[in-house]
Amino acid sequence: MIIPVAWELILSALLFIIGLYGVLVRTNAIVVLMSVEIMFNAPILNLVAFSAYLGNPAGQVFALVAIALAAGEAAVGLAIFLVLYESHGTVDLSKARLLRW
Amino acid sequence: MFEYAWLIIVLPLLGFLISGLLGRYLGRHVGWVAVGTIGAAFGIALFLLVQVLQGGAIGAQPGPIPATAAGFEWVPNVRFDLLIDNLSAFMLALVSLLSTLIALYSIGYMAEEEGKPRYFAEICLFVAGMLGTVSADNFLQLLVFWEIMGLCSYLLIGFWYHKPEAASAAKKAFLVTRIGDVLFLFGVVAIYIVFGSMKFTDIQAGIAAKIGTPTFDVRMMTVIPLLLFGGAVGKSAQFPLHLWLPDAMEGPTPVSALIHAATMVKAGVYLVARSFIFLVPVDPATGLVIPGAVPWNAILVIGVIGGFTAFFAATMAVANYDIKRVLAFSTISQLAYMFLGLAAGAWLMASAGPEETGGYSAALFHLTNHAFFKALLFLAAGSVIHAVHTNDMREMGGLRKHMPITALTMLLGCLALSGIPPFSGFWSKDEILGVTFAMGATQSLFYALYALGILTAFLTAFYTFRLWFLTFSGTFRGHHEEHLHESPGVMTGPLAFLAVFTIGSGLFAFLVPGGWSNLIFYHVPLAESPLAGFTRMPDVALAGLSVAVALGGLGLAFLVYYRRTIPAERFTRGPAGARIDRLLLNRYGMDAAYNKLAQYGVMGVAGAVDWFDRHVIDGAVNGAARAVVTLGNLSDRFDRTVIDGAVNAFSLSTVRSSLTLRQRQTGRVQNYAAVVVLGLSLVILVVFIWRFVLPALGVK
Repeated sequence: MIIPVAWELILSALLFIIGLYGVLVRTNAIVVLMSVEIMFNAPILNLVAFSAYLGNPAGQVFALVAIALAAGEAAVGLAIFLVLYESHGTVDLSKARLLRW
Repeated sequence: MFEYAWLIIVLPLLGFLISGLLGRYLGRHVGWVAVGTIGAAFGIALFLLVQVLQGGAIGAQPGPIPATAAGFEWVPNVRFDLLIDNLSAFMLALVSLLSTLIALYSIGYMAEEEGKPRYFAEICLFVAGMLGTVSADNFLQLLVFWEIMGLCSYLLIGFWYHKPEAASAAKKAFLVTRIGDVLFLFGVVAIYIVFGSMKFTDIQAGIAAKIGTPTFDVRMMTVIPLLLFGGAVGKSAQFPLHLWLPDAMEGPTPVSALIHAATMVKAGVYLVARSFIFLVPVDPATGLVIPGAVPWNAILVIGVIGGFTAFFAATMAVANYDIKRVLAFSTISQLAYMFLGLAAGAWLMASAGPEETGGYSAALFHLTNHAFFKALLFLAAGSVIHAVHTNDMREMGGLRKHMPITALTMLLGCLALSGIPPFSGFWSKDEILGVTFAMGATQSLFYALYALGILTAFLTAFYTFRLWFLTFSGTFRGHHEEHLHESPGVMTGPLAFLAVFTIGSGLFAFLVPGGWSNLIFYHVPLAESPLAGFTRMPDVALAGLSVAVALGGLGLAFLVYYRRTIPAERFTRGPAGARIDRLLLNRYGMDAAYNKLAQYGVMGVAGAVDWFDRHVIDGAVNGAARAVVTLGNLSDRFDRTVIDGAVNAFSLSTVRSSLTLRQRQTGRVQNYAAVVVLGLSLVILVVFIWRFVLPALGVK
């Protein structure tokens, strides 16, 4: 049974919005990073969906590359948060307000 | 061919630069620079004179005389060239000889004075000016050098500028001669306007070409020589501009001898001799006088001023007690003789033809003789002053036994000045009087001038020997007789040399073949028709009269001041005598009158000009300034309120808005992310509406 591509796109959009909500609202840096990972998954799902829809495997290859990149991005993000914790003793984003007027 | 003549002027100029700029390193020897340079100039001038005379006057064949020593172009159309003819060559030699002697004398006279470099530099500059004056080729060049002389005269009269009398005498000399110089300048301008050139030769040709043409106003022929004569009156201290010369005696005595007796005051005579081209206009082509162009009235004015001044100045010399002032008045009187001689000579030449040079040559002969004997008298007077340290003859007397050389040489000078034969003054003065008397036949005014001349001759002999007897005979009336001494050799040497000339220069007239007049005539001397003139013995009757008169004056002085058989007080005892004495001592009140004129006339004009300046000119200036200030205030207010207001308002609003806006920089990373999301959403929304909604609604 073939799942219609529209449903997959709707799922992707939902993932993106959920992630966006987490990024904008939650103050814990780790949670924000997790939300970013959720947002990341939305375009990856799109790539896979269109690959199946168009019968072109290049999309699945791009998806694998993007997952690898996302892993690197998560590593960099976690490293930044470690440094932030070193200097501020917290990873609460509402406390890290040095770039202010 | 005479270009080396420039050296005669350049050498004293070089002496001026050396002694003026380097003089203080030379110390006592600075005087020898002046003597050397002027003496070298004399050597060249003598060589030039011999060459010139060989070219026509005494030589066999007529040479290229008059010639021009080419100089340089000063401004377009005006060249500085030297005119080389008999007259200028003779004057160059005469002036440089006297200057050398007097510079030599100055070394002794000024030995103990401060400021020797200044003194000798000014002497050198003066000599250069005088030599330039007598060799000028045109009237403008003459005027330039003439003014250099005037400047040096001013500087040297005021040599002891810390003495107030000397400083004011210098100013007086400068201002009084200035009146004459302005007239001279007008004359030069008039010449240029009428003839388009200031060269003597161009003017001579111009008169011949223009006379009779309708554009030529023949009255200019009277005006121009009178304007030139005005310059001569100032420079030669003739009435009514004679005031400065007696006061000029405040300068050092060698200066009085050089400038105010022997040379500079003669420049006026020289100028009138040069203006014979106007007084006796000769057609260069035919060699005949142009009858319609002769300014008879101008000639008479010169004669009358000369005759009157001769007598007028001689009377003032009679009463004065200042040894140098007596000589100064005598200089004025003798210069006036020369003008009288020139006037009579011009009359003679104009009526009898240009080869009748009797009066002209007599005047220049008197110029020569007077230069020698008056320089001698002044230098002898300087020698006396050097010994007794006063100018007042009442504190002298009996100096003959202390200063025998000075006494003897001065006696020779006095005999020459009095016109006792065979001393030089007799020959020339008698010739002047003779020509004047002869001219009385055609213009009876000359008889009156002759009478004045004879009276002057009497007064001259009287005051001259009054001076000599008061100074050298009797007993010493001053203080410190033990300090009296004869002057050193550098001073008595020139005295002795000049004394030789005083005896000998009268014989020049007889030694020179072709006559004295050929020696100094400004025209081309003609070999085939030798110039008549001073070739004969003087008229015996007239000569006898003038000798008798001179001896009478001498005798009166002898009786009054030597034998004292007639006491001098007899003349001043009566009320009339006392009044005359006072009048003469006050110089006829003319100095006071001129001072009053200056006080009321000049100061009045100055006051009016001052009032005009303060009220009208200053008022206009102040009004303009006030308007500018008001305008500036308005501009300032506009600047402060409008321009600055706009600028301030702008900056204030910027500050206020930024104070508000900066609070948007929260530093919270999620706020920034929200803005990014919002903005991106807006972009997407706009693109969506533009690409899909609007086409769907049918909007193009």
